[in-house]
Amino acid sequence: MIWRGLLLVWIAGWIAAAFLWAPLVPVLGETTRVLYFHIPAAWVTVLALAWSMLHSALYLAKRDLRHDDHAAAAAELGLLFCVVATASGSLWAKAMWGSYWNWDPRETSIFFLLLIYAAYLALRSSIDQEERRARLAAVYSVVAFVAVPFLIFVVPRIYFTLHPDPLINPRGRVDMDPRIRVVFFALLAGFTGLFYWVLGLRVRVARLERRLQSDLEAT
Amino acid sequence: MSGGNVVMGVALLTWGLLFYYLVRIERRVKELEKR
Repeated sequence: MIWRGLLLVWIAGWIAAAFLWAPLVPVLGETTRVLYFHIPAAWVTVLALAWSMLHSALYLAKRDLRHDDHAAAAAELGLLFCVVATASGSLWAKAMWGSYWNWDPRETSIFFLLLIYAAYLALRSSIDQEERRARLAAVYSVVAFVAVPFLIFVVPRIYFTLHPDPLINPRGRVDMDPRIRVVFFALLAGFTGLFYWVLGLRVRVARLERRLQSDLEAT
Repeated sequence: MSGGNVVMGVALLTWGLLFYYLVRIERRVKELEKR
């Protein structure tokens, strides 16, 4: 329980630092603070989808349903964080570019990611038989993840984009004010901790659901 | 009170409520696991 308390203080402290300590980027003004939530949400999306793909591959190799629990939970959370990244980005776009949606390469990429992983959850919900659902979802997840690095890292670097340079720019450097960088990476770590906490909870709920199902079938 | 402080307050309150909600879920999950 101690690390949860630390996570509470860590995220709360760095949220306060984002408002009271880190400077504003002149071009971005007050909207600078969106940076601390938008990019960590996008980072957790990629992490969650990679976690889902990894456990899908492990399920296909070992046929252990515990890997399927991890794959499904991570995909759900990946989609949730993807929605957070899309919504925060859309509000930011309205403030900076004058429109909520501009079909910028990154916006188009995240739109496709939303569709791909919404289809993953639709696939899961359409199959009742547990082993079959796990097997088909695992194959889908592994194939779907091929699109993730392409959509997130390749497409925005090929086409003209309204977005600023990627976090690590082509010169291999992170061009940020030192205080902004500290707050940003601290909240990135905080979001990652939050993801693993919720993931663990979701996996435990999935196991309880399976236990309940088998108890019901036994009676 | 400036607009920035209001937004910070809302962000902190949201995080606090989310944290409380997750802790409650965790307690409930633990109870169910013990049964």
